[in-house]
Formats: sequence, structure tokens, C-alpha cells
Amino acid sequence: MGNGSGSSKQDRRKRLASLSFSEKVKILEKLRDRSKKIAASRSKPARALDKPQ
Amino acid sequence: MKATLEIINQMQTDGIIGKYAIGGAVGATFYLEPAATLDVDIFVMLPQTLQSKLLSLAPIYEYLKARGFKVEKEHIVIGDWPVQFLPPSNDLEREALAGAVETEVEGVKTWVMTAEHLVAIALNTARPKDHARILQFLEQKVVNADKLNHILIGHGLVLKWNRFQDRYLDKDTNG
Repeated sequence: MGNGSGSSKQDRRKRLASLSFSEKVKILEKLRDRSKKIAASRSKPARALDKPQ
Repeated sequence: MKATLEIINQMQTDGIIGKYAIGGAVGATFYLEPAATLDVDIFVMLPQTLQSKLLSLAPIYEYLKARGFKVEKEHIVIGDWPVQFLPPSNDLEREALAGAVETEVEGVKTWVMTAEHLVAIALNTARPKDHARILQFLEQKVVNADKLNHILIGHGLVLKWNRFQDRYLDKDTNG
């Protein structure tokens, strides 16, 4: 499923690590908001149509 | 985060807290690629006048609650970040706080623990996520081995470090 080799993943991690703290904090905030959305969607009750018959 | 740090800096100016430093996952992000986290760990010295009484975070909570910030379990939400204030619980954390490096986020001054202290604290805390973070630090080669050794020896963590090495690192790659 991956779209890159181990070395390109490593390159990506290095590139991200080399960003300024301000830039990395912005990414952290996006990751945090995404995690919160995922958590919220999991806690929503199933809709009637989603319920098993 | 900018708004969060501005409030925390104002707390420092107002004498509610002394020196502070970002630790935990956000602190690690100063050195590593960003990794998802829901909160910010702020290690904080309480001013001398407050420390002379019983060590308590109550003045911090009172200050922030009076300004409309909400408490959520062990966190206080400042800006859009839940913040956990942590007075240092041992000499290692006190040293990490004292040695924190100055930086800035969007022009706001702040302090972050050194990579070596973050690794030592993670080693001491020793949850699976702490061990994973140590491995990230080592993989990214952002740890000064001499500085880390000095900290490990100074705080009696050499045995723990040896166990960590035995468990996770190849003998020929761990210095």
C-alpha cells in the first residue's frame, strides 16, 4: 500500500524534522484536530440505517 | 499554540509561575518530525513564595479559571490546547527545566527541554510510547551521546539505559 521506499520515508521524516518549530507546531495542530474528529465520529451513535437488521 | 504561549508567558510575568519548559511530545517535536498529540506538557517551577508553602498548582488554576479558561480533568484549555502543568517531580526534571533552550513559536518566546533531557525523562518514565520516542531521537541523530551519558550517570539511569539498549538497539549502533 505504501507509495514509497523505506529511504523515501526516511527522507520525508528528515524533511519534516528540519522544519522550523513554528511550522511543526502548525502540523501538530492539524494532526490534533484530525485525531479529535476521528474520536468524535467514533463516539456518535449509529444511525438507524446503519444498525444491523 | 501562539495564544497558548502568550498566556503562559503572561503568567510568568505576573509571578504565577517561574521558569517553564515544554516537554513531552510537543517538546520532542522541536527536534523530530511532528507526531500526533492531544495536549501540551508544561514543566513549571513555582515561584519561591509559593514553594515555601505546600507545593500546589492551585494558584495556576485560580489564575486561569478567573480569566475564563476551562479545566478538563488534569488539563486547562488555553487557546485551543489542553495544557498540563507539571512541577518537576525529581532532580532530573529540575535539571531539564533549568537547562531548557530558548526558542520561539510564531514570534512568541518559549523554552523547550534539550533532546538529551527529553530522552532521559522518557527513559525514566518508560512507557511504550516513551521508548518509541527515544528510538526516534536516536534514529534522527539529534542526541549528543556525551551529554546524554553525563545525564544518565548523574541521575542513576545507566542500568535502565543498558536494559533499553539490550532490548531495542543493535550492539554496534548504540555507541
